[in-house]
Parts: sequence; structure tokens; C-alpha cells
Amino acid sequence: MAVVGTPVKRTEDPRLITGEAKYLEDIHLPGMVHAAILRSPHAHARITSINTAKAAAQPGVLAVFTGQDFADLPALPCAWQAGGVTNHVNTPRVLEIDKVTFTGAGIAVVIAENRYIAEDAIQLIEVDYEVLPAVVDAEKATQPGAPQLHENAPDNIVMEWECGSADGTAQALQAADVVVRQRLVNQRLIPTSMEPRGTIAQFLPATGEFTVWVTSQAPHVMRLLMTAFVFGIPETKMRVISPQIGGGFGAKIFLYPEYCLIAALSKKIGRPVKWMESRSENYVATTHGRDHITEIEVGAKQDGTITALKVHTYANLGGVLSTIAPGIPTTLYGRMLSGAYKIPHIYCHVSGVYTNTGMVDAYRGAGRPEATYVVERAVDLVAHKLGMDPVAVRRKNFVQPNDFPYDPVGILNGLKYDSGDYDKTLDRALEMVGYDRLRQEQAQARQQGRYLGIGLSSYIEICGVAPSAWIGLKGEGWGAGLWESANVRVHLTGKVVVTTGSQSHGQGHETSVAQVVADELGMPMSDVIVQHSDTLGTPFGYGTYGSRSTAVGTVAVHRSLQRIKDKAKLIGAHMLEAAPEDVVYEDGKVHVKGSPDQAKTIQEIAGAAALAYDLPAGVEPFLDDTSYYDPPNCTYPFGTHICVVEIDPETGQIDIKRYIAVDDVGKVINPMIVDGQVHGGIAQGVGQALWESAVYDDNGQLVSGSLLDYALPRADLLPSFELDRTETPSPVNPMGVKGAGETGTIAATPAVVNAVVDALSPLGVTHIDMPLTPRKIWQIIDAHSNGGD
Amino acid sequence: MNLSGTYTFDADQDIVWGLLMDPDVIARAMPGVDAFVPIENETDAWNAKAKINVAAVSGSYIGTIRMSEQQPPSQYRLTVNGEGQQSIIGGTVVIQLSYDADEGVTLLTWDAEANISGKLARIGQRVIKAAANMMSNRFFGNVAQQLPSSEQTQEQS
Repeated sequence: MAVVGTPVKRTEDPRLITGEAKYLEDIHLPGMVHAAILRSPHAHARITSINTAKAAAQPGVLAVFTGQDFADLPALPCAWQAGGVTNHVNTPRVLEIDKVTFTGAGIAVVIAENRYIAEDAIQLIEVDYEVLPAVVDAEKATQPGAPQLHENAPDNIVMEWECGSADGTAQALQAADVVVRQRLVNQRLIPTSMEPRGTIAQFLPATGEFTVWVTSQAPHVMRLLMTAFVFGIPETKMRVISPQIGGGFGAKIFLYPEYCLIAALSKKIGRPVKWMESRSENYVATTHGRDHITEIEVGAKQDGTITALKVHTYANLGGVLSTIAPGIPTTLYGRMLSGAYKIPHIYCHVSGVYTNTGMVDAYRGAGRPEATYVVERAVDLVAHKLGMDPVAVRRKNFVQPNDFPYDPVGILNGLKYDSGDYDKTLDRALEMVGYDRLRQEQAQARQQGRYLGIGLSSYIEICGVAPSAWIGLKGEGWGAGLWESANVRVHLTGKVVVTTGSQSHGQGHETSVAQVVADELGMPMSDVIVQHSDTLGTPFGYGTYGSRSTAVGTVAVHRSLQRIKDKAKLIGAHMLEAAPEDVVYEDGKVHVKGSPDQAKTIQEIAGAAALAYDLPAGVEPFLDDTSYYDPPNCTYPFGTHICVVEIDPETGQIDIKRYIAVDDVGKVINPMIVDGQVHGGIAQGVGQALWESAVYDDNGQLVSGSLLDYALPRADLLPSFELDRTETPSPVNPMGVKGAGETGTIAATPAVVNAVVDALSPLGVTHIDMPLTPRKIWQIIDAHSNGGD
Repeated sequence: MNLSGTYTFDADQDIVWGLLMDPDVIARAMPGVDAFVPIENETDAWNAKAKINVAAVSGSYIGTIRMSEQQPPSQYRLTVNGEGQQSIIGGTVVIQLSYDADEGVTLLTWDAEANISGKLARIGQRVIKAAANMMSNRFFGNVAQQLPSSEQTQEQS
């Protein structure tokens, strides 16, 4: 009967599979014109003059604008500055006016009758630049003599942030039996969603209202930022709609210059304006992810007990700051550096840095993959140093089930890990992979000169972001709340409409939320629809990221459902001529306790509530409830992933022979959807470990600027993943849910790297920076065989 | 970005050198050339305009070409600065000639260091390299067409 916990097929899929779903590019408005944006070819330059005359004279061109035309609009807001420290903020303008700090910054726009004319016309805009020296490496950018990007940011420093105890950690490192030091480069990635970004804006002069369609994971936030922080108009003067979205991975959370530009143009031109990003633009103008250079020192006792972890990270944030850029390598990174382990002394210092590269912000996992990479590499480095099995070091240091709620020595700034049983997922993963037998096979393989490697990653992550009091301006610096909203209405016929401030762009919310409603109210899922992504008709909400839509958004729905049931009981009792305390709500009916035959269905009660001619005294008509749920804590999923690789010594090619993922994401609503999230996440995590890398040359040109040179994971390069789960409910919310959107990406990268390093450890290899390309691996093997003989 | 290639002319080295130094020959040989005009008050320097029609690099380009360091009949340098397709292209090409007496052919090698900024920098190095090879083969092929007795050329990359 219950549908929660069962693999219900996604109700979204028929419209997606048949092509009925409307993406931004499918929307055509009468009279709509098209924009093309001229972007800087230089990474660092002053704009000395722009001549738009030739472009403007082209047949079919309506207008050409430059940054000067929008000089009255402020630079975009940076809504999450690193908490508790000074941030030297520089953000993009709608179009840059005097200076560009990265290749791809927008400097002029052409509006034309069609996109072809617009694209041709931008070629005719003549721009004179004074080209300045560029710097693309975050560490080099902080050194004396480096090109300076912004007057308010000496040495290109955005902010210096720290957490943990510097003195305590230094002392613990002094006292440690062994100390391992390692430099780790977490390379820059490009979040390649299938659909690039785009927007359409329409302005109606009679009402003074904008309607904006935009590829956004957070339509309400888009509206708030655009109206209150850029245009200075009431939010009631703008409606924002996210149509069907073809993936986001975080890069579609942010307010980008183009969205404000197109809205402003729709008013200037008096016609609807559309802009759709090309893949080439997407690679330079949409945010990137990761890009950390990190030095770690980890101290341990001879028995494998980790006693201290010291981390310094240069976080490359690009030429200007994207919407929440400084929050990612601080709160979501530094505060996660205890991982699944009881580490008594932790200190993390992060230098956020401007460079002449594209903006860097949240990308699936957002800070937690970088933290997990540090922690899981550190554990393996300790194991190697001590000659211990990496499994033993993990077990030795795990937070134990009776330690929860666990405070990782204060670095979570007041929050505590909610629940977990880390040995349980590790045990299950070891059992699935046949660990002991595999180690024997590895020993035999090594005798035969084969490179077989086994890599573990026992991760935790932080989901369900976040309690507003913790993350907000008095705490972590997030410039807003981070609760989520829901409205549940049971219409006269008993059909239910749920609206949520969260947004679905591939996560299957329409299905999983309907499963919860169906079980709670006791009705078929087909009687429930879930609406989202339009500021008209949905309550304000913060959108989808940080694996928060279930642990915050659906919990808001759950709360409204309880209140709907309470009201249904009042009305049902009245209809049954019973006292409210004598009835219960069960299986879609209100019945008198002990007499299930004396019952009114939810449909009958909804009808009575809507018609309202006979309601109990003091009860308002209609079953309708709105919730704003602010979680008391985040949630902390965990698990163990194991990757088994074999390396071809002749080519350096890495073959992933097996990939096991045992996750605990709390209570599961739809196991098929969770499996899908885990699959996609692992693919992206493996992609970082083995193939992906955004590369800028020394002049700040993105040389991996197309899908020819940026290597995404492909299905044929991946094994069939072996998944299992344990289920440890979260005590944070009444549903026991945690979140599953990012676990795969977070866990997979270190599992793969640990496996490859393990495979090559007989050669003395202790670390290799990603991506682990065949060329890199072959060179290591080749150098060893030449040097060794 | 490093680009390089070779071309074999079925002719004596002096004849090939002479053709390569002749602005009229260069102007006729450049693929898609619209204009090739000497820059005033400079020697061996031209303003050029060309429409290139090779896949991803198609479009109109304008720029300057300067010839220097001539060591007749074996080596010279071209310095190119141009723009088009929301891109800036700069670079130098060193061209060397040598005569293979056994085969009776002149072997040309070219070696370029190119700096490409903007849209073209992102379209993929494999594409750029293939396009550069195609265009250089067209150029030298067109030069070879102007040999006293033509139809005796052979291309390589």
C-alpha cells in the first residue's frame, strides 16, 4: 500500500521522453527578438574604445549596447561572503565598462530580428583593448609582482578564512609519531549540463511588470536578487519562471549578468528578448568548480590514530565573484575536514584568490568533494606511511554510533553530525567487493607484474542546508535564510496540489513529493500534482542545491500534511458527530477510534471543507496549509565506496574493474531515484579523477574550451556500478531523511585516486594529481622501469 | 600553440625563393584573400584581409603580415597579427628551404608559434592544427601553381 520506499516510476518522464516538455529554447513569444553577446578575447585588459556603428547599421539589427548604457545599474550582488572575515568583493557588471578580468566577460550586446543576424553583427563591433599581464594560478596570483586584478584586493586576495585551532594543531603535529605532508591539486572542472543557460524577458509597460523565463535552480532567489539588488524595484514587479531545465549541477543557482541584461533590454527595446548560450559561451561564461591548491600535514600515532590535520588551501575564485563563491571553499569545505573521523586537532586556512579565469562557484558537492578528497587522501597517506591497511586506519578513527550527535572539535561552528554507523557501510562494501580475497589477488597480480589497485572512500557529507540562524549573516555569512516552503491544497474533489519553493531540474521531485503525500493522506499518487519553478503560484523558497529539497523542502510538505490531517479530523469528527479527540486519520479516512466503519474519506471531508455549509464552529473553509520549515541542523549522509582498478603498463590506461557504493542517505523515499542520483554522481566523480580538467594557458585563454578538449565521462568508460544502502534515519527531521543528490560525486573521486595510487604503490608512488590520464600514468611507470633497471 | 608542416616543390631552390619573396605571388596564393596592400613607410609589410572558409575557423580576418630576417635562399620569418571571429591571432612563422639534389626537389618546412585569444582559442587544438595544415597546403599549393612548369608538386603535412 505504502509507496514511500518503493521504486515508483517518475511521473516526469513521459513528457520528457516524448518531447512534450518545454525547455527555454522551445519558448517562442510573438515579436520576440534575439541577443548575442560580444565577449572579451583577453583575460585581462582595459577597454579603451568600442565602436558599434557598423554592427548597428546591419539590416535586421535593432540596437547595440555597451556597458556604458547600463552604467546606472550596480554590479551584481555577492550573496554569500565568507563568514566572520573581510571579503574584498568584486562582482560582474551587466556588461563590463572599463576593464575585463577574464576571457569571456561580456562587453557589448546586439539585439536583432534573429540569432544569426545578431551573431554576425557582434563580429562587426570594433573594440580597442589595452592588454594587461594575466595570472591564472591562485598561488602565483598572491605572490609579489603578480598582476593585480582589483584595486580593493591587494595581492588578489578575496578573503583569508580559517577554522579550528592553529596552536592546538601545531602542537599535536609536533607530538605526533609520524607526520605526512602532501600537496594536493583539486583541478578546475566545468559543470557541463546538457542544456546551457538562457533567458527570455518580457516587459509590459502598462503594468510595469517583467516576466522572466530563466534556466534557474532557484527562481525565487533570481527574482529577489534582480529586483532588490540590481533593478531596485519591488519583487512584485517581476515574475520568474524556470521552464523545464536540462541539468544544472549548481551552475544554474547563480544570478548571472546575462539575466539582468536581457531583462533590462526587454524594457529598453519594448519587445521580448531571448538569449541562449552556446556551448562555447557556456564554457567561459558559466561558473566552473573546484580549483584548489592545498598543502596538508597530517599527524598520527604508530597505531594509526590520526591526531592532527592542518590544511592550507588557495581557492581560485576567478576574475570576479559569482553569487555564492566565497561560501563554498569556506563553510562547505573547511567545516567538513573531519570527515568520518574523530580528529582531535584540525586547523584550516583558506585563501580565496582572484585570477584571470572564469568565475568559480558551487559545482555538485560544492566544497564537500574538495574536503572529502583531502580527508580520504590523508587517511591513505597515513596508512601507507605506517604500512597499515587503509581499512584498519579508517576503522581506528571512525566516529562511533554512540558518539552521535558528534561535534567535530568545533569546526562545524556549533552544528553536530546527526547520526551514523560508519562501520556498517564499510563492512557491507568490503563484503560486496570480497576485500580479503581481493588483497590476495592483488599480491599475486603484483608478482606477475600487474598493477591492480583497491581504493576506499569512507565519506560523510552535509545535506539539507541549512538552519538560517547558523548559515545566515550572524554565522556563516549567507545573506538570506535557508528554510524552505510548501503549500498543500486539497481541492473540492479531493485532488491535491502541492506547491514548493524548491525547484526540480532532474531530481524527480514531482514523483518523490507525491509519494509522501499519497502515503500521508492515504490516496493514490495520481491524485497529487506537484507544482514548482514559477514565482507566481508558489510560496517564496530558496530553490534546489545542497541536497536540500528533500531534507528541507519535503519536510515542509510533510509538516503541512500533518496540519491538513489535523483539520480533516476536526471536520471529519463533526461530520461523524463525534468528538475530535475520539477520531483518528488512517488510510485516507477519518474514523471513530475502534470503529473503522464509522468513517469519512478525505475526499468527502475535502468536499465538505470547500462547500463549507456545515463546518464546526470556528473552523475556516478549505483544506489548505502553508509551511516554512527552517531545519534545526543539517543532515549528514555517509557511506563507503570502493573502486578496483587495473592499469595497463604498456599504455597507462586505467580500467575500472569494479565500483561498489554503499551509501546511507537516511530514509529513502524512492530508491530508483536515489540510485539514479548515485549513478550520475559517481560518473562525475570518476570524471574528475580520470579525465576532466579545465585548462587555462598563461595568457588566460581557456584551451579546454570545447567538448573536443574537455573530456567528459562516457558510459562506455564506466563499469556497471554495484550499489547498496544502509538506512540510518536522521533525527533532525520527522521524516528521517538526509539527502542523496551529491553523495556520488563526493565519494567517487578519492576512491578512484586511492585505487590508482594503491595500484602503483609498489613503484613508490604515494600521490598523483588529477586527472589521472594515461599519459601521466604511463610516464610514472616508464620513469620507474627506466630508473629501476 | 606550436604548429608546423612541410611542403615539397618540384623546382630549384632559387626559383621557389623568388616566388615566396614576390608580393604578387603571395597575394594570389593566400586563400580567400580580399586585399594585400603594402604598408606605407615600411618595407616587406602588408595589410591583409581574407575570408577563410575552413570549418570552425571560417570568417573574415584583417591584419598585418611582416617579412623579416631574410637569408636568401634558405630562411625567412613572417610575423602575423590579425583579428576576426571575436579572436586575436598573433604569431611568427619561420620558413626554411633546402634543396634535395637526389630528388631534385626543394623542401620547405615551416614552424609557427601562434598566440590565439578569444573564441578561436577555445574551439579545439586538433581543429586549429588541422585547419592550419589545410590552409598552409593551399597556400604553398597555390605558390607551386605559379612555378614556370607547374603540375609537379606534392603535398605533405
